[in-house]
Amino acid sequence: MNKEPLLKVEDLSVTFFTPRGTVTAVREASFEVSRGEVLGIVGESGCGKSTSAFAVMGYLPTTAETGGSISFEGKDISSMSAEDLRELRGNRIAMVYQDPTTSLNPSMKIGLQVQEVISEHLNLDQSARNKKVVELFESVGLADAEQVGDRYPHELSGGMQQRVMIAMALACDPDLLIMDEPTTGLDVTTEATILDLVASLKERVNAGILYVTHNLGVIARVADRVAVMYAGQTVEQSTVTDLFASPKHPYTSGLLSCVPKPPGDGEVSSRLKRIPGFVYSSQESEVNSCLFAERCPLADSKCTTSAPALEFIEETSQVRCFHSDKVEPDTWGGAEERISRKDVNSPTVLTGTGITHEYGKRRKKYMAFGPDIDLPVRALNQIDFQMPQGKTLGIVGESGSGKSTLARAVVGLIKAQDGSLQLNGNELDKTVENRSNEDKSAIQMVFQNPTASLNPKLKIKKTLIRSLMRFSKLNKQESEERAASLMEEVGLDPSYLERLPSELSGGEQQRVAIAGAFATNPEIVVADEAVSALDVSVQAQVLGLLEDRQQELGNSYLFITHDLGVVRYISDDIMVVYAGHIAEYGPSEGVLNSPSHPYTEALLSAAPIPDPYAKPNPLRLEGAVPTMREEFTGCFFASRCPRKLGPICDTEAPPIQKISTNENHVINCHIPVEDLEKIQS
Amino acid sequence: MSVAIFTATEFLPGDAASLLLGQQATESNLKNLRHNMGLDRHPVERYSIWIKNAVQGDLGMAARGGATINSMVKSRLPNSALLAAAAFLIAVPTSLFAGVLAGTRPDTKLDRILSIGSLLAISIPEFIIGVILMMVFATKLGWFPSSSIMLPGESIWSSPKILVLPTITITGALFAYILRMARANVIEVMESNYVRTAILKGISMRQVVFKHVLPNALIPTITVIANNVGWMFGGIIVVEFVFAYPGIGSLLIMAIDTRDMRLLQSTALVIAAIYAFANLAADLVYGLLNPRVRVGQ
Repeated sequence: MNKEPLLKVEDLSVTFFTPRGTVTAVREASFEVSRGEVLGIVGESGCGKSTSAFAVMGYLPTTAETGGSISFEGKDISSMSAEDLRELRGNRIAMVYQDPTTSLNPSMKIGLQVQEVISEHLNLDQSARNKKVVELFESVGLADAEQVGDRYPHELSGGMQQRVMIAMALACDPDLLIMDEPTTGLDVTTEATILDLVASLKERVNAGILYVTHNLGVIARVADRVAVMYAGQTVEQSTVTDLFASPKHPYTSGLLSCVPKPPGDGEVSSRLKRIPGFVYSSQESEVNSCLFAERCPLADSKCTTSAPALEFIEETSQVRCFHSDKVEPDTWGGAEERISRKDVNSPTVLTGTGITHEYGKRRKKYMAFGPDIDLPVRALNQIDFQMPQGKTLGIVGESGSGKSTLARAVVGLIKAQDGSLQLNGNELDKTVENRSNEDKSAIQMVFQNPTASLNPKLKIKKTLIRSLMRFSKLNKQESEERAASLMEEVGLDPSYLERLPSELSGGEQQRVAIAGAFATNPEIVVADEAVSALDVSVQAQVLGLLEDRQQELGNSYLFITHDLGVVRYISDDIMVVYAGHIAEYGPSEGVLNSPSHPYTEALLSAAPIPDPYAKPNPLRLEGAVPTMREEFTGCFFASRCPRKLGPICDTEAPPIQKISTNENHVINCHIPVEDLEKIQS
Repeated sequence: MSVAIFTATEFLPGDAASLLLGQQATESNLKNLRHNMGLDRHPVERYSIWIKNAVQGDLGMAARGGATINSMVKSRLPNSALLAAAAFLIAVPTSLFAGVLAGTRPDTKLDRILSIGSLLAISIPEFIIGVILMMVFATKLGWFPSSSIMLPGESIWSSPKILVLPTITITGALFAYILRMARANVIEVMESNYVRTAILKGISMRQVVFKHVLPNALIPTITVIANNVGWMFGGIIVVEFVFAYPGIGSLLIMAIDTRDMRLLQSTALVIAAIYAFANLAADLVYGLLNPRVRVGQ
């Protein structure tokens, strides 16, 4: 690699001038992409990765000011004329975006949308263009490539839409392909198929790929080299194997050690390490210190008085740190032992029996007569579960599998049509309105999006005091004191009580939401994707916080997530749900290891593993969870099952099989457990 | 709808009989006339007779002048339709064009002028604009007639000049309204992710605007326009009155003036029917433009 790289970005800076002041999104970003390689850019939200990607496309708002240089094949993009840029875009440099649903024109057939790029940049006649579109659709694995072009974006699933976007980007055989979080927001199973496609592109096309993501597992799967960004700076650039094996920057090392590892063997024995504080967010453009210093365990006086430069420490790796030679596995503290709870027997707090819920109503064609034209959607079907005291029940499944409906049924936000809930042996009313104050305070909920679930007009103090006065029967004075101590318990300064939610970062808001849930001394906290929207470093902090609380107070969590790494880390028991049915239910390490239900197996093989040496399991699921309108005649998973036995799966409901080694571990499948174990090993 | 109109008019004070006979009317005269006109019957009965005839296309007799309501509506409806059509044909294309022009260049001088101008046009009621236009162009300059009164037997075509001022008045408000809608929608769509996709395909800005921005920005705009046809009718009623234009709106006002309940009910019913059809048309247009709401193949 002694020739000039395809793309060379040097000391890029991007500053936005907004009515509310200047924001420096990118400060000193430097990276390069050569033909045939995938450079992954990784970092937490707000670190400037997407802005850098759009800067390479020459696409920034007119209020932005850029510095440094972006050279594509030796030509500087930032000084190009609009005409030259147009010639480049879509043709030589193409981009795939996050959120394909909003990135496709909703009122234009997808075939035409792809053709548009071809007619702009290639000199082909109509029939050749049509042929090219079909070829492109085939190459990205879209079924029915001949006809699919006549469809509108809303008629396709998210995964298919992203394939269309990729086909569009490949239309003119670009030299540089930029992918900006292309799988964020898609289900793990869909993500896996898209990542397979990206991995296959690497071999098929002779382009350089710039892959932007926050997910270290995805980076390990697709990238050859990685640039780590923090607060708008490239802090480390290295090959993917070196980066994961021996990170040179303390931030990289911290990031790697705070990601919960996806399923492997055995119990998680040590706690996640935590990077304290929050992502650097000063708006000053000139800073004379290392931007990571305030969170760094290695920081000394040199780090706060002068800024380190990005320097080569080896032929293939660069790092921006004065102390890179001191970074080692224990930089973020030694392994913190976790107390095993596997053999602790604890009483059951909450029992759910036969919980069934349908959305919508049955409608017939002519009022009360004629064929059914609308059937209710069965979101939950006969769900049984037990929550032991002081333990965590994790619920996993793709979107549409019924996870959130179950959470809402437990909290009483929806009234389940059938089944019952028992709290400490006493019947619990189905709706929160009819529950007693004691029952209400016993079950609390933390939602996915803290920004939307905290009242934006109320100071944090008001929000907390409200539930304290109502449920804990404290007077104003006492509740204020309790609110202050709650804030300290969740690791926030009590001065935050006087702030509005909008003055807090996402992670801080989620801590407030957790403080609010704990205000009533609940026995059970339902967390619906409570860490999904958070950055990994903040996610580790929040997970740690939840763990600490549980150890101190002995409450139980119903933890809903789509992230298998998180669920493995936090849960004692795991329930895998699919289309409102329990596919598998049992102790954590039992569920996540063979033998598994084929659906669990598929979820496991889809989860990206933050280890570049991990060999991807080829088992994949296509499509999405079906909308269940009528009771399945056979197995609920038959339509997508990769291990389908035969006709029996379509005609008979699967039996509940108990695993011999553990009475509490059940799998709902026709395939005998021994056979499952054999296929999966 | 018809029930609501009927009930509302029942509550109005006075009736056609007392107005017709004036203040010197004796009780017995009134009673006789009311009996002849059927006004002494029970409201439910009168409603059922009226609605039965109305659905068969017979709106009955006006209380005064001896003409059938059918013929009055028939002679005036085309005039109103002509006024509405003229205003629509001028306002819609020009305002959409101006709205798109402003929307694709937000915060430029042109955009500011159009935005402020349209805000002014919306905030001033039609009858004031109408009167101002009348003062300037009719009284001062004498270019157009100030009133649109037609003699019996005349039609609009014999003096098309009477159309000009009323049309301009209605167009003004309509233009401003559509312009603001179109501008807001274009700006919103310009910021959407799919327009970003289109720009980064490398196609020309012209193509971006025509193929990606316009279809998506105009869907909601056109729907709102169609849904506001009724609102425009309100404007027409006022404008017709100001210019004494012989349309359905001034017929309505005349019915109110003369307490001719049957005429009032009938004109209101006709306007309501037009409104309902306009909304139906709006929904159909929306379905035609937006693939997401199209059902079946």
